Amino acid sequence: MRYDITTGPIDPRELEAAVTHSGAGAICTFSGIVRDSSRGQSVTHLDYEAYAEMAVPQMRKIGQEIKDRWPEARVAMAHRTGHLEIGEVSVVVSVSCPHRAEAFAACRWGIDELKQSVPIWKKEHAADGTHWIEGDEAKPVA
Amino acid sequence: MAIAVAIRIRFFARLREQAGVETESIEVAPGSTLAEVYAALHGKHAALPEQGAVRAALNQEFADWNTPVASGDEVAFIPPVSGGC
Repeated sequence: MRYDITTGPIDPRELEAAVTHSGAGAICTFSGIVRDSSRGQSVTHLDYEAYAEMAVPQMRKIGQEIKDRWPEARVAMAHRTGHLEIGEVSVVVSVSCPHRAEAFAACRWGIDELKQSVPIWKKEHAADGTHWIEGDEAKPVA
Repeated sequence: MAIAVAIRIRFFARLREQAGVETESIEVAPGSTLAEVYAALHGKHAALPEQGAVRAALNQEFADWNTPVASGDEVAFIPPVSGGC
């Protein structure tokens, strides 16, 4: 189990290594990537900000809930903060299980929960200006 | 009996910009709830959103608005999150 908030680049292979073991027949790794458009606007870059002292325990809690639902799962999660360029990895969730069905399901559940409850925020720099993203809403920066 | 409890407030993301500060130490009356703390801060920083638009966190965990604060607590108000991609 490994949970990180980091300002440096995230290597998905390192998270996979953290969940690899001899009984894990399936590893599902989700990587979230900064894309070049949002809300129909071209995006130049993003800034992510985290309440790190809460975000890491919150990720650990999601990992524990995954273990409650899929007892054989091993979980690693990392989220990057600071300035990110298009194409860079912002978040990785890697889950190992004996078989692929649980690995896919647990990984999907993990990234969905992370997006709901881990205190991290995205500031989007786009053609129409800079916005804080709050849930599904984009709020212009004054 | 203490006449006031001293707590530490942390603001993040859009709330940090609206409040104009990252952290703030304030004193509130004993027994004050998170809702009362937010109301006091809202009075001081008028640009903060209404309480319904944020969640409260007490000592790094989401907490109910009716929870009372104690001396030394760390309180944060969490706008809708947008981690991931």
